[in-house]
Amino acid sequence: MAILWVMVIVLGVTIPVLAMLLKGVLGAARSITPTVGAISGVAAAASSDLDAVIALVTTQNYISQVVAGLANYGGSLAVALPDA
Amino acid sequence: MDLPVAIIILFIVVIVAMLAIYLIATIVELLKINAGLDQVLDKVGEIATKTAPVNGVLDAVNATLVAGRNLLEGLFYQKAGPDAAGLVESAFPGEGPRFLQRVGKSGTVVPIGEDYPRGAAILNSLLGVAPAPAAPAAAPAAASGPAESVRQGGRITLRGKSAPSSSATVADPPSEPGRLSARGSRPWER
Repeated sequence: MAILWVMVIVLGVTIPVLAMLLKGVLGAARSITPTVGAISGVAAAASSDLDAVIALVTTQNYISQVVAGLANYGGSLAVALPDA
Repeated sequence: MDLPVAIIILFIVVIVAMLAIYLIATIVELLKINAGLDQVLDKVGEIATKTAPVNGVLDAVNATLVAGRNLLEGLFYQKAGPDAAGLVESAFPGEGPRFLQRVGKSGTVVPIGEDYPRGAAILNSLLGVAPAPAAPAAAPAAASGPAESVRQGGRITLRGKSAPSSSATVADPPSEPGRLSARGSRPWER
């Protein structure tokens, strides 16, 4: 009979401890959800911000043309100006 | 049934019910997190796709710019000789030694200053204009820009000057014939 009462006490202590632990796990899981939502929003914004990256190809083309023009200009200068 | 047994059974039922409720709620939250992470993964995939060509493009741009820089610096050294590093140092302090290193030369870099008489003389001779006036401060301020100034004869300077303007104001520095400007804020510093 005494062992039964011991079990009752143990279970009585176990219930609040278990409740506290489960509540902590649930609270942690619930705190992650809005964070993931915020990350998703930021990722969407970052993705849309990168829409202009494709213009780098045009920039590359322009830079190639500018450097080619500079090279031509330098060639003319090389002919026009005397060496040191 | 004894009272302790009944209490134990009650406690066990409570524990099982508590476990079920909390774990189910946790599972629901984890499913929400999983769905949110799926969305994040899609967006991150878009970001990775959009940024994939950046490295190649920037490498190509850098290679093109380095080739252009090397070409012009080689030309500069060929035309200005040992004065080139000093001119670079005068226009962009600290760049002279690096310029020498890039063109494969060594030595001490001495800033020449803001005026380059040799270059002015060459340009003046090529353009067929008179030599520079002896007193730059007394020179007429009628030049509307560096090219016009060179045509009028005079000096080449590295001193900064704003874009050519047809209307001179009192606040403007006195324009001097033959001034060519290489100093000023660099594009990446604006």
